[in-house]
Amino acid sequence: MALTAVVLVGIAFAAVLVRWTDTLRPAPDPNAIDENLYVNGKTARRISLGFNGLVADWYWMRSLQYVGRKIMNHPDDVPLDNLGQLNMKLLAPLLDTATTLDPNFLDPYEYAAIVLPSVDVQEAIRITKKGIETNPNAWRLYQHLGYIYWQQHDYQAASETYGRGAEIPGTPPWMEAMKAKMLADGGSRATAREIYTRMFEQSSDDQVKEMARRRLLQLDSLDQRDGLRKILLAYQGRTGKCPNNWRDLGLSSAPLDPAGVPYVLRACEVELDSKSEIPGK
Amino acid sequence: MEEVISALTRDNPRQVNSGFWRIAAIARNAFREAVRDRVLYNLVLFVLLLTGASIFIGELSGGQERKVIVDLGLSAMLLFGVFIAIFVGVGLVYKEIERRTIYAVFSKPVGRGEFLVGKYLGLCLTLLVNVLVMAVGVSVALMYVSRGWDPLILTVWPAVLLIYLELMLLTAVALLFSSFSSPALSALLTFMVFIIGHFSADLKSLAGSLGSTSARWLFTGLYYLLPNLANYSFITPAAHGRAPAPGFVFATALYAVVYITVILAGATLIFSRRNFK
Repeated sequence: MALTAVVLVGIAFAAVLVRWTDTLRPAPDPNAIDENLYVNGKTARRISLGFNGLVADWYWMRSLQYVGRKIMNHPDDVPLDNLGQLNMKLLAPLLDTATTLDPNFLDPYEYAAIVLPSVDVQEAIRITKKGIETNPNAWRLYQHLGYIYWQQHDYQAASETYGRGAEIPGTPPWMEAMKAKMLADGGSRATAREIYTRMFEQSSDDQVKEMARRRLLQLDSLDQRDGLRKILLAYQGRTGKCPNNWRDLGLSSAPLDPAGVPYVLRACEVELDSKSEIPGK
Repeated sequence: MEEVISALTRDNPRQVNSGFWRIAAIARNAFREAVRDRVLYNLVLFVLLLTGASIFIGELSGGQERKVIVDLGLSAMLLFGVFIAIFVGVGLVYKEIERRTIYAVFSKPVGRGEFLVGKYLGLCLTLLVNVLVMAVGVSVALMYVSRGWDPLILTVWPAVLLIYLELMLLTAVALLFSSFSSPALSALLTFMVFIIGHFSADLKSLAGSLGSTSARWLFTGLYYLLPNLANYSFITPAAHGRAPAPGFVFATALYAVVYITVILAGATLIFSRRNFK
């Protein structure tokens, strides 16, 4: 009985000590998260002794945790494809190591194509091309590479990439259509809509799907705002001034954006509310 | 060991005079002794717990739960299988010598080679049971995550077969070292063979890149002499849904049989010259 009491009281006291120690612990070094990787991909593969798949999983999870922690520590909502402001210097090495350890692991290549271009576009292209070399029949990697070139407004390279991907047996027919669309109309909203729609349909990553969904909402919002600007211009033309509120434009209340949040009327411009989930850029 | 001795002194002369029955009796006894070892149960339980934990770890992997389950489950199976093969393998002969029961065994018409082969087969049977339990654990974890049948299970089992062949090879190596060396040194040497065996591709490329002819011959010799364990590592392709080709499995199985035969023959040669006094 006495021994049982010692065990129970001891555990409770240890828990109290842990809470007290947590308050005394110095704050973690904010630079520690960005410490360089000591082992490169080739060395990690060599020393993994046949456990390279497991080690690749670890580096992949580490990449996700690294991005997640940076996003959580940032005060504003940052879209997944616009993380350049978050100082993600380790992301490229982490994804490169994961794909060197397991070259057939396709998800890190997709992540590199979506997230990395805003951080280091050359590394994003290099890693995706590395994936294509080791997985020549993975047409989705061509889709990812084409997306990177499209984001960089290199519509010629994007078209060629979609075209090469379209030649792989089993590729969906829209890849061939995308090749033509890139050359004809690469910078249009219609092309952007097609790209994000395919990304949303094809991706198995929830974060990427969410990013694609928000970009589609953004495109819808851009179309809506174009329509509202026409109304604003017409009002300005008639009255010679900017409207004070939505009623001046003949609307009973503020129109809602595709995310269901009211637009904001500021001087002679229609803007998204800061509370809206639709990305501003 | 009393069961072995009584089996070896049966009234049925056909059984006593047949090498197969003597080996079977020793193997059965080695299996019974090994499964009574609590350390084995703890190691298998730990692997099953790791496999279960991989379901939760997989939630951190951005939708790659199945891959993580296969990678972690099979890697744990290989690693802990290696520990079992080494630490039980090096003790198989040593314990009999320490307990002096080996004198009682060799007082009967049992050859030293029969004794070694019997011990080896007993541990292989133990490893088979452990590997099967762990493989069922990985399959159940996959079915849980997939909410039903998962086609990945079909690629996991051929990888499990290759892992088992690798463990059989390492067990034979452990037995070889333990036939002339202390348990600690045998364990260390066997573990080194495990590590170097996975570096065999690097040995070959190193041999090709060296300038000195004698060094090239040395590393080429090492490449062919040491077991090529990298061929048995099919965990990562299995996690991607790729099963090894039947020809490849046959070739690696044949290699394992030949190599094990060579090692056991060498162990018998060394063991037969050993004086236990």
